[in-house]
Amino acid sequence: MTARTARRTLWNAVGVLLFVVMVFPVFWMVSTAFKPDDQIVSLTPTWLSLHPTLVHFGDAIHKPFFWVDVRNSLIVVCVTVALAMTLAFLAAVALAKYRFTGRKLFIALVIGIQMLPGAGLIIPLYVVLAKYHQVNVLSGVIITYLTAVLPFSVWTLRGFILGIPKDLEEAAMVDGSTRLGAFVKILLPLVAPGLVATSVFAFISTWNEYIFARTLLNDQSRQTLTVWLSYFLGTSRHTDWGALMAASTLTAIPVVIFFLLIQRKIAFGLTAGAVRG
Amino acid sequence: MGAILGYPIYNLVRISLEKYGLFELIRHKGQYIGLHNFGLVLHDPVFWHTLLRTVVFTIANVGLTIGIGTLIALLLVRVSTLVRILVMAGLVLVWSMPQVVAVQVWDWMTNFQNGVVNYVLTELRVGNYFQHDWYATTFSQLSLVTALIVWEGLPFVAITVYAALSQVPADLVEAAEIDGAKPWRVFFDITVPIVKPVLLILTSLSILWDFGVFTQPFLLIGQPHLHPGNYLMGVYLYEEGYLKTDFGRGAAISILMLLIVAAMSVYYVRRMVKIGDVD
Repeated sequence: MTARTARRTLWNAVGVLLFVVMVFPVFWMVSTAFKPDDQIVSLTPTWLSLHPTLVHFGDAIHKPFFWVDVRNSLIVVCVTVALAMTLAFLAAVALAKYRFTGRKLFIALVIGIQMLPGAGLIIPLYVVLAKYHQVNVLSGVIITYLTAVLPFSVWTLRGFILGIPKDLEEAAMVDGSTRLGAFVKILLPLVAPGLVATSVFAFISTWNEYIFARTLLNDQSRQTLTVWLSYFLGTSRHTDWGALMAASTLTAIPVVIFFLLIQRKIAFGLTAGAVRG
Repeated sequence: MGAILGYPIYNLVRISLEKYGLFELIRHKGQYIGLHNFGLVLHDPVFWHTLLRTVVFTIANVGLTIGIGTLIALLLVRVSTLVRILVMAGLVLVWSMPQVVAVQVWDWMTNFQNGVVNYVLTELRVGNYFQHDWYATTFSQLSLVTALIVWEGLPFVAITVYAALSQVPADLVEAAEIDGAKPWRVFFDITVPIVKPVLLILTSLSILWDFGVFTQPFLLIGQPHLHPGNYLMGVYLYEEGYLKTDFGRGAAISILMLLIVAAMSVYYVRRMVKIGDVD
């Protein structure tokens, strides 16, 4: 029994150590963001400043184009998510409820497209969007994100819809409800949590997206927040680490909040199928 | 929807068969030159070196992510509930970090002058890392990128494998133990078969992601330090095709890259289709 307790204590210690190592970069970002400059550039690091300051956050948000690019990010994300959810929901219902020829091919396409590396698609996207004058405008990026987000959304939503017992819908129809009525009254409320989870996931991936935004948007006033953040280093020879970490923290906050909300569902959505097979 | 997704691919193939530079971009019309672009790429030693480097890089990244991730999952089974919640919360926090943010933080941590990594390594007596420049050699640069990618990738692997591990029936393990099975027998005969499908899917996913990686090497190594000697496929494609506005050749590189990825993803896609096709 004592050997067992000792082993448990050892594993717990390893667990705590692992936590410290994994979380350290995030801690260091936040810690640096609140630190006065002399503590940031000191050769002996200060782990947690006793004199926290908000000055770096002020510097970060007053940098040129910060607010413009925040607005751009929000526009791109909101429009993409709204459009993607509407289209994906309809596609997912069709995919889950009705058999149609080429269904297998469709699933393969959805997953296959999801697997393609983004870098491999920048050239055709750039050329095609340039042809329709969609380079350097937000609508071009929104179209691009739609093609990237749709497959995943269809796939996850389909999983949620499949989870609803067919009998439930049939029961509603037997009770005299029309197909549309059954759909609105039974299917929609049951899928709502899945819809929320999928849209939050779409929100996160579009908010974080970098390579397409970088290649398709050239003007600083038209860029998204991640591109703005990536150019931060290049603005001067001497990097303002405090402001950079404050800006990084600000960029990460919305994602962290949303991520914590849906993490369980997404982890489930990704693994449910895998475990079942 | 197939049309939306197929259109860029169709254009990719078309452009790869054309001379398509800045001039053609403005005219919106390329000049057909057959397989010339593919010939150029396949005779370019940089392509082959980059491909080899990317393959080695991918093996290292996937091996480390899956290996360490599985170890973390096994650890999670053995710790007390409190520690498990703590570690889980930490993993989810790391998982939620945007790539560009993670790059900036790692860049700051590995800064040669005030980087906390140099300080900690020196203090721990690992060696003298005072003002050590992590961006001096290709190996060091790519190792940093690997460390960053593994750090970012661990939560997904660890949490997924842990979820699979918790499906291992406890009474089955208990029965085996009562029957006198050694711990390693229990592990290989009961745990591994249950976790294997999940591990296979995670591995194929990681291979695809790491092979096509762009943001981390591009931003962490940084544009001034990027050169043909430290390219990975994603960066190579960006620099040669997009930055040099040689879209025809870039498209040819893209197609070769996508074909490699497609070949690698056959297993994963087939498996997912099979799972997705059951009702």
